[in-house]
Amino acid sequence: MPASRIYLLIIGLALCLVAEVAHADSVAVVSARSPIASLSRDQVTDIFLGKLSHYPDGILAVPIDQEEGSPTRDDFYRRLADKTPAQLKAYWSKIIFTGRGRPPDTVANGIEVKRRLAANPAAIGYIDSTLVDASVRVLF
Amino acid sequence: MPGKLTALTLMAVLWTATSLAAEPADAPAKAAGGAADTTPSIFSFAGFGTVGVVHSSESQADFANNFQANGAGYTRNWSASVDSLLAGQVTADFSKRLSGVVQVLVQQRYDGGYRPQVEWANLRYEITPDFSVRVGRTALPVFMENDSRRVGYANPWVRPPAEVYRLEPVSSSDGVDVSYRMPIGNAINTIQVSAGRTDTKFHGGSNIPDGVSHARQLVAFFDTIERGFLIVHFSYLHARLTVDAVKPLFDAYRQFGPQGIAIADRYEMHNRGADFLGAGASYDPGKWFVMGEWGHFESHSFTGAANGWYASAGYRVGKVTPYATIASVRPAGNTSDPGLDVSSLPPDLAAQAGALNAGLNAALGAAVSQRTIAVGARWDFRRNMDAKLQIDRGHIGAGSPGLLTNLQPGFQRGGAVSLVSATVDFVF
Repeated sequence: MPASRIYLLIIGLALCLVAEVAHADSVAVVSARSPIASLSRDQVTDIFLGKLSHYPDGILAVPIDQEEGSPTRDDFYRRLADKTPAQLKAYWSKIIFTGRGRPPDTVANGIEVKRRLAANPAAIGYIDSTLVDASVRVLF
Repeated sequence: MPGKLTALTLMAVLWTATSLAAEPADAPAKAAGGAADTTPSIFSFAGFGTVGVVHSSESQADFANNFQANGAGYTRNWSASVDSLLAGQVTADFSKRLSGVVQVLVQQRYDGGYRPQVEWANLRYEITPDFSVRVGRTALPVFMENDSRRVGYANPWVRPPAEVYRLEPVSSSDGVDVSYRMPIGNAINTIQVSAGRTDTKFHGGSNIPDGVSHARQLVAFFDTIERGFLIVHFSYLHARLTVDAVKPLFDAYRQFGPQGIAIADRYEMHNRGADFLGAGASYDPGKWFVMGEWGHFESHSFTGAANGWYASAGYRVGKVTPYATIASVRPAGNTSDPGLDVSSLPPDLAAQAGALNAGLNAALGAAVSQRTIAVGARWDFRRNMDAKLQIDRGHIGAGSPGLLTNLQPGFQRGGAVSLVSATVDFVF
């Protein structure tokens, strides 16, 4: 009898671990071919919040977002701007409903982000750290 | 009327431009990133709304939002027609640089009805991503949250502090605005200059009949500096205002010779220059926020002058954000006037003059003087929705109706009023 409970407990703990792994950190990335040398956290924040349109060297920045509800997205904005998904939605609602701007283009997942970065050296995105490979350069 | 015409013309322009833009292959604008999955429509739709009830402890007057006909207190014990609203917005991206937006909003109006109103309708052209021109009906960011004051989901409170947000009657403009944004060091500075005109229909309440406020030769200057979590905002607005609802009062004064003419000249709001000056700041590092604004309005007429300010702070605990706000508004001009000297007039004229003086003093005495402390909490209970509960305790200045309207004979000026508000906000 108690054995089945112990199994359940182990499965439960394992699920927690899996959840932890799935929640691995997001990293801000640009294409490996990108001319952008380095960007501060504040600059990346301003680019993703639509406040900064160009990189410091004058190239037009093209931020790529992941879809709402994606754990990588939630983690990225929590670490970058200390914004919860609700705070981010409130922030963009303010801008959208006054016609002053719009959020970055959105893609479905990190693989799509890498595809966009490969196609456009001026693009900037964020992916789960486990997706980092030679095609991208990690900013932070 | 001209305002309505402008809006209609704009919508017609939008639809024409839409049908023209729909045929040519204008889509590659979005495909800059490569992987063209599906060709997105040039139109996108979004909306927001609030369902809310408010209760007021004052049964001899109504608490309502600016320009609304009725509210909580006298008309209803609990009113759902103060904060509840629904809005839809269509955005059209005609090209990478040209876009249009039309926002239609339904909420209780000055006449107590719910006829949809065109909140914004404008065409925006990006000369560069940091330099844009808009033509049509646009929001005037006279206050930090003014553009989005009706988007409950975008704001921490049930409604922005009325002590400040009602200082200035002009909140949108039919005209042109230019916005220019530039980085200065680690900060981003955005300058916006607007020029236009607007008509606002209002509910007069007890002292003034319903009417239209016409703003002409409206020019406004706004500056927003953003650095990290800090936002600092300055605004200045000048317009020539006309409120014809009180014209008969001043026409009558002019019949009384030099003294009457002097009174009419001093107080009549006819093509009268009015100025607003405002400043505000907010700091929001995510876990908590503080913000405050100050404003001064000077009408050079019977609506007088006023200073208002508020300070607000909140702390986020998971999905719940408790907050507190203190706000104050005080008249900065005279709230009464001796009017015509009745002692030198024959009895029948003296009675008329007395009535005019009473009318003038009723209008001057409507000046808002109130200090409010509000506490509340926002709960982000599910995606794209929040629920808020707020309690306001307002202390009304002596002789003032405060922020209340529809004053009944039993209403006592001054005193205190409490509000309890519960809302659910959503965006879609």
